[in-house]
Amino acid sequence: MSDFLTGLSLVAHISTILWCAFGSILGIVLGALPGLTATMGIALVIPISYQLDTATGIGLLLSVYCGAVCGASIPAILLGIPGNPNAIATVDDGQKMTKKGLAGQALGSAVIASTIGGLGSEIFLIFFSPLIAQMTLAFGPAEKCTLSLVGIVIIAAVSGKDILKGLLMGAVGFVFAFLGPDPMSGAVRIPFAALLRKTPLSNGLDLTSTLIGLYGVSQVFSELENIRNGQRGEICTNIGKIFPPFRKILSMWKIILSSLGIGTLIGAIPGTGASIAVFLSRNAAETICANSNGKLEKPGTGCLEGVFAPEVANNACTGGALIPALSLGIPGDSATAVLIGALMINGITPGFALFSQNMPLVYSIFITLCIANIFMGLFQLAGVRVYPQILRISQRILMPIVLILSFIGSYAIAGASVSKGIFNLGTALFMGLFGYYMKKNHYPIAPVVLGLILGGMFEEQFRRAVKLGAGTLSRFYTSGICLFFILLAVAIIVSTTIRRRKEKNA
Amino acid sequence: MRKIITCTLVALIAIGMIFAQGLKEEKASFPDPEKTIKIICPQGAGGGTDTQTRQLAEAMKAVSGFDNIIVENITGGSTGIGTNAVIDAEADGYTLLMYGTYVICGTMTGNTDGFEKLDFITGLDLELFLIAVKSDSRFKSLDDVIKHAKKNPGKVTLGNAGATATTGVVAYGLNVALDSIFNVVSFNGGKELIPAVIGGHCDVGIFSQSEVKANIDQLTPIAFLGDDHSIVPEFSNVPTLAEAGYPDLKVPGGCFRGICTTQGTPKEAKAWLADTIEKAFNTESFQGWLRTNGLLSQFTKLDEFDKFNDDLVETMKPILKATGLAKGKYAN
Repeated sequence: MSDFLTGLSLVAHISTILWCAFGSILGIVLGALPGLTATMGIALVIPISYQLDTATGIGLLLSVYCGAVCGASIPAILLGIPGNPNAIATVDDGQKMTKKGLAGQALGSAVIASTIGGLGSEIFLIFFSPLIAQMTLAFGPAEKCTLSLVGIVIIAAVSGKDILKGLLMGAVGFVFAFLGPDPMSGAVRIPFAALLRKTPLSNGLDLTSTLIGLYGVSQVFSELENIRNGQRGEICTNIGKIFPPFRKILSMWKIILSSLGIGTLIGAIPGTGASIAVFLSRNAAETICANSNGKLEKPGTGCLEGVFAPEVANNACTGGALIPALSLGIPGDSATAVLIGALMINGITPGFALFSQNMPLVYSIFITLCIANIFMGLFQLAGVRVYPQILRISQRILMPIVLILSFIGSYAIAGASVSKGIFNLGTALFMGLFGYYMKKNHYPIAPVVLGLILGGMFEEQFRRAVKLGAGTLSRFYTSGICLFFILLAVAIIVSTTIRRRKEKNA
Repeated sequence: MRKIITCTLVALIAIGMIFAQGLKEEKASFPDPEKTIKIICPQGAGGGTDTQTRQLAEAMKAVSGFDNIIVENITGGSTGIGTNAVIDAEADGYTLLMYGTYVICGTMTGNTDGFEKLDFITGLDLELFLIAVKSDSRFKSLDDVIKHAKKNPGKVTLGNAGATATTGVVAYGLNVALDSIFNVVSFNGGKELIPAVIGGHCDVGIFSQSEVKANIDQLTPIAFLGDDHSIVPEFSNVPTLAEAGYPDLKVPGGCFRGICTTQGTPKEAKAWLADTIEKAFNTESFQGWLRTNGLLSQFTKLDEFDKFNDDLVETMKPILKATGLAKGKYAN
């Protein structure tokens, strides 16, 4: 108890509260701007945190982190453009709700879901950290490979009506993922390697710029076409209610719990990440809804369930990613890698020793994380009535602004490297054109993103697992976790097929 | 006529402006308070290299009173992209690179023109590498590992942080010297290698000292790879390769770090930078940080550093060539 009180005294300063508030607002703004990620936000405030007390500095970093993950849902819901990869699964239902005139409720639910996800995963972090950290150690290359297989299977589920088109687009995503250095030997693997090996293409496609292109730039092109053809588009500026009915939230308890579990665990496994967690949780929500005897609506139809599942999961990843970071000194994602660096700059080495020797500081981190999550919820909620006003802006003005922000975002993510920035601009433009033509011809975009994220992970972990098994597949069939994931993948295929048949017959 | 007068006037003004600019430039001394010195760290924010870059930047600000010093992380291409950003920058001394053994590997493996297109300012320190196993491993010493691997070639997995990372080069170098008894597996950085070894997915790993120190309860170091001993008390009993019974194994013993800048930078700028970094290096705060993290001082300046780098390159050449990773002239 005295450790907790000492921890509390480390953060109980007005300056900590003010810096956390500043961090939350900055995080939400950065998250809402296309291309600006949580990692980038944290890197941006590291020099400030360096000047502050350790606990205050960590509070600032955590506030930016949580805010950026949550803020990404705002453009995803209103414009169909995810602020960063955390919100890719929110786009579908979020935008459909906006078109139905339920923008307020979609934004409000995203905030509530994010706060539940953030605070819920913190409970896991506080009480089960050592246990979950040990569980993540069981995830070697073979286990991560089969986990990505489960994600790949979901491509079929997010494919929309035409599975074949979805699978084709997933394959295109895989091809994009294979550009770049060979994950095992580091050899350059691009067309015209002799000519292009010293260009940024040798490092593969930048995920954020690709997302900006596929969702942001392509959307602008589609809207511009609508303007030219004199179509107003389906824009509804009605905000409606903000808070979803309390009963409705209670009825989604299974979705909330499953998303919380998926988000926390996947966040805790290094080398995975929120972009997989959001699709897995959405898929789990689909199964829960299908078995709810009509009490819950099916994600994909523009319902709260489809917003809640990914938004709980992506913020649950923040607490999850801190579990191996604090207890093992191993970052769960790139944002926590930066956090570990910030701790080390302050002379603290994360790892088991932190828990045994510096418990007050650990408590102060838990308390500031709690403050960060509450501020994130409050500040984003405070703006919920304001954000939809952007929909009132004429498309002729809004779309060029979105286009400029998209390009600034993809350029800025490269940091000081001009050549990488220019390359990212090219990527965003190319993917924008590609996305536009695909959407126009009714090919779904989400499978490309899943293919791109999971293709790279699957290849890398598969080859590493085979290498560890001295050229055999032994690592797969000797691991219980691998067998579980393989069975889960089969179960998802079977249940999706049965569900689709039922829907066809109905 | 009016046209001729206008043209002459414009030409005169232009010439005047060029002269004025020239005079201004002549007077400007390094560093210009209007400009910012940017230290590019080619590795991700949060890692050991990044932390050291930020410590150095702070110490430089303190000793010079020049506050416009920032750190930028430009990652990718096995540190090649960040290195290339410095190579392509204007040669005015305002863009620096946190140089390291990784740039030497990147140059020889063809990812960047690296040290061939950089000017050397100061060498800084060495972070030692060590071989470690998980704390409840059946292997208790390096001898145990090598004897078991000789009996069962290809069965013992030797992990490293990436094929073109320095620990990757070291792993391949060891394996070549020991007649390929190991199954060398490259991971995506320490963040994936550490849990793989602790979790029992990989038998043995090559780590930097700080990585093992952070996980000392779960990782047991069995040998340092170079001839140097650690200054960290926890590692005082860990043998070097020679002490572990393998004096003939010669691989890079750690990651060396230093500061470089764009080729062709004026001498006075380089001299200011070298002097400032030397003062920063010797501050109590930076030295204390080095000691806490167990880094060994290896300070060299300008030409001295150039010569030091040449020796380092010569040591690494045969290893990279033997592993087949070398490209271009380094492959022959």
